Amino acid sequence: MAKSEDLARIIKGCKSGDAKSLSELIDIYSGRLYGYFYRLTGNRETSNDLLSELFVKLVEKIGSFKDGSFEGWLFKIASNLFYDYLRSRQRQEKSFEVLKSEFESETTETKQSSDERIDKLQVQLGRLDRDTRELIMLRYYSQASFKEIAAMRAEPIGTTLSKLHRGLKKLRELIEH
Amino acid sequence: MNGQNENLKELFEKFVEGEQAEQAAEDIRKGEQILGGNPAPQPDDELIANIKAEIAVSLYNKKQDTLRRTAYKMMAVAAGFMLLAVISVKLFEKNSIEPERAVNSPAALSAVWDNSADETLTAEIEQIESDLFAMQSSENSSNGSEAVTELEMEMIETNNDFWKG
Repeated sequence: MAKSEDLARIIKGCKSGDAKSLSELIDIYSGRLYGYFYRLTGNRETSNDLLSELFVKLVEKIGSFKDGSFEGWLFKIASNLFYDYLRSRQRQEKSFEVLKSEFESETTETKQSSDERIDKLQVQLGRLDRDTRELIMLRYYSQASFKEIAAMRAEPIGTTLSKLHRGLKKLRELIEH
Repeated sequence: MNGQNENLKELFEKFVEGEQAEQAAEDIRKGEQILGGNPAPQPDDELIANIKAEIAVSLYNKKQDTLRRTAYKMMAVAAGFMLLAVISVKLFEKNSIEPERAVNSPAALSAVWDNSADETLTAEIEQIESDLFAMQSSENSSNGSEAVTELEMEMIETNNDFWKG
């Protein structure tokens, strides 16, 4: 992880439109952000798209970043992007609800023949509700404090703590059994 | 504060009893260990290269846009100055022409007076005046006063027509 002085320098460079600083920022955060998207979507292609979109958004919005936790700010954008993606997918699903049932068997086949090896964790994460899954991933990949996460989610810190505790406990039970 | 340096037990103690807080903190640590033990795949190098290229293009376009906008603004300001200059020159010319017009205005008035229609009117008035004079000299005739009145009416009418132009 970059030292805070280095990060401050890189952010300053990004704000002035320096391509090298942006490249450094991509190198620092792409792994964590990709992990966040992958664990939430379980799909490499979608994660690729979301990661690209995130960095494009970052270039647009970097000027609005003031003081505070950069990780918190960055992962807030990532979280919004993920929810936007979910909403658009839901809209698409509604539109193709009738067609979906017709192609159901085909979809299942495609999933099975995919070259992505879905790991055990990904399977068990899928059993958690969407909000808890997002919270766990946000905490793990952003490495932000509970106070920051609670602020990002606009909820009391006690609620965040309790949701994350319950979620991680359940995930552990699912993995161990 | 970074999430990694956070004292989870202390945080939970704000909401639950000491032992429960310790247990909750332990649950979180173990849960996060599972996540650490099952790392998510990393993005492809090709994807990262593509993102960097896309960003570089986007930055270039952004710079070009900024330059173009600055140029447009400067052109607008220059056009404003030019317009102002043209208006100032026009106003200056107008101010310098104004006295000349004032000098010329009697000439313009005289041009109005030098109309051929005025000559006709003058001749007519002279004719009426001579008629009137002739009538007044033969005042003793029977219908003399009526003719005088008629002539006077004609004179007034002609006079009015003259002033109407």
